[in-house]
Amino acid sequence: MECFVLSRGLTVREITLRDFRSYERLELELEGGLVLVAGPNGAGKTNLVEAVHVGTQAFSPRTRADAQLIRFGCDGARVALRAERRGGNAAVEVTIIRGESKRARLNGAPLSATDQLRSELPTLVFTPDRLVVIKGGPAVRRAYVDRTLTRLLPTRANLPRTYGEALGQRNACLRKIGLGFSSKEALAPWNEQVVTLGSSLQAARLRSIELLSPRFADVGEALGLPDCKLEYSAEPLTLESLERRLARDLERGTTSAGPHLDEVVVLAKGLELRSFGSQGEQRTAVLALLLAEAELLTERDTGAPLLLLDDVLSELDVGRREALIGRLRGLGQTIVTATSDSALPARADQVILVNEGTARTA
Amino acid sequence: MPSPAIENLVAQLTRLPSIGQRTARRLAFHLLQVPKEEAIALAEAIVDVKERVHFCAECGNLTEEELCSICLDQRRDRHLLCVVEQPVDVVSLERTHEFRGLYHVLGGALSPLDGVEPRDLRIADLLRRIDAGGVEEVVIATNPNMTGEATASYIADQLRGRARVTRLASGLPVGGDLEYADEVTLGRALEGRREM
Repeated sequence: MECFVLSRGLTVREITLRDFRSYERLELELEGGLVLVAGPNGAGKTNLVEAVHVGTQAFSPRTRADAQLIRFGCDGARVALRAERRGGNAAVEVTIIRGESKRARLNGAPLSATDQLRSELPTLVFTPDRLVVIKGGPAVRRAYVDRTLTRLLPTRANLPRTYGEALGQRNACLRKIGLGFSSKEALAPWNEQVVTLGSSLQAARLRSIELLSPRFADVGEALGLPDCKLEYSAEPLTLESLERRLARDLERGTTSAGPHLDEVVVLAKGLELRSFGSQGEQRTAVLALLLAEAELLTERDTGAPLLLLDDVLSELDVGRREALIGRLRGLGQTIVTATSDSALPARADQVILVNEGTARTA
Repeated sequence: MPSPAIENLVAQLTRLPSIGQRTARRLAFHLLQVPKEEAIALAEAIVDVKERVHFCAECGNLTEEELCSICLDQRRDRHLLCVVEQPVDVVSLERTHEFRGLYHVLGGALSPLDGVEPRDLRIADLLRRIDAGGVEEVVIATNPNMTGEATASYIADQLRGRARVTRLASGLPVGGDLEYADEVTLGRALEGRREM
């Protein structure tokens, strides 16, 4: 069993907290497979899941303000964890000190960019806030697809960033021409960069949606949401199409076409979930997207990602809970929160009871 | 800080690349501890380079004379010109002992966001050199990043019809293992694969 779990992917074995949110001190050992974190409202379940996320990704899924992670009245917080993954162990240490920049170490070596952890320790997280992927504006869905792309297509992982940089340069150039500080001739190299990188980004998004969409349909079906589908409507970007819009772009100082404006549509039962989905359907769709990506990653030789599912069970009926658990069995370590230790229709590999800043294995 | 002089030194040091507050403080206190001559030697070395070193009138490389040693070297192939962003890139290419042509140092890469326009780089000088005749091939060796690529394409456009333009290839580091290549580099190497 031990060996089987190890080969499945990323498994957190131990987490140590110091002055993190509601936890003054915590040392907790974790099992592979399905881990249920149970406790009453406000006991610190979400904080524990958040801590695991900080420990594997060096940032919180809830906030970008790291100082909020420090326990009230303290100067700093520390999260350390030990994990097993394909190709050996990983020890991560993240230190957040009020007024200083965050420090993260992987196996003792300081990390310059915390982005590195995203590919080193793949972790997917569900929180109720993730509903914005369905409900929010198009920018949220583009960012979601771009994040997915960095995991599914690692050779193209830097496209979203470099395209953004090229776009920034072109817009700066447009504004300078508008102010008479530059000439149209100076715009040509940026047109070319925006078109080259933009087309590559559109192709990469299409590819990751092609990978994701059938699996999304499959998982959605299992969770009781039929005909799930992802669609990407990309307007082809060419030098000619930029040229046609030049007058308008110069006037506004921004680029009016390109992947930064494309729309990603999430559908179920033939309807756009953003406008026509119920709260429950939207929630199921977010979960199905996450599981679809997890399944795709699990089939690769990097192994299964760690799944953190905060508060997914509350709105699922018994049948869907069972379907979810069935699906999770094929994946790697999954940490699920619930208000009751009987919330799971199946036996968890470990149950952790959380109360008043403490957590222990039941 | 115990004295305004130290404070000033720390502030000056922090302006150097990759020197933060903490390192600057450590360097400042180090300089206070070393013998006076040693600290003065450093100060003089800085004044010295600023006074004696300037840009080569022909290629923009660093030199103490009117023209740099590469431009003066009659054994170099004058049909071949390599365009780089910075003088330090000349040093890297020279270490290969493979390139026997001349250089042209732009002094940076295009970046409207940072206020770098074509006129802020030595591009007009480059065109003048090409138009003066004799150059058959221009090798563009700007950095393989977004601004370097944009600069390369701008220069290639300007040189169209005036000279043959080539670009350095990008791919895998020689002598390394595929296992350690990052995905992006490996992806680009795959894209640029050759028939065997």
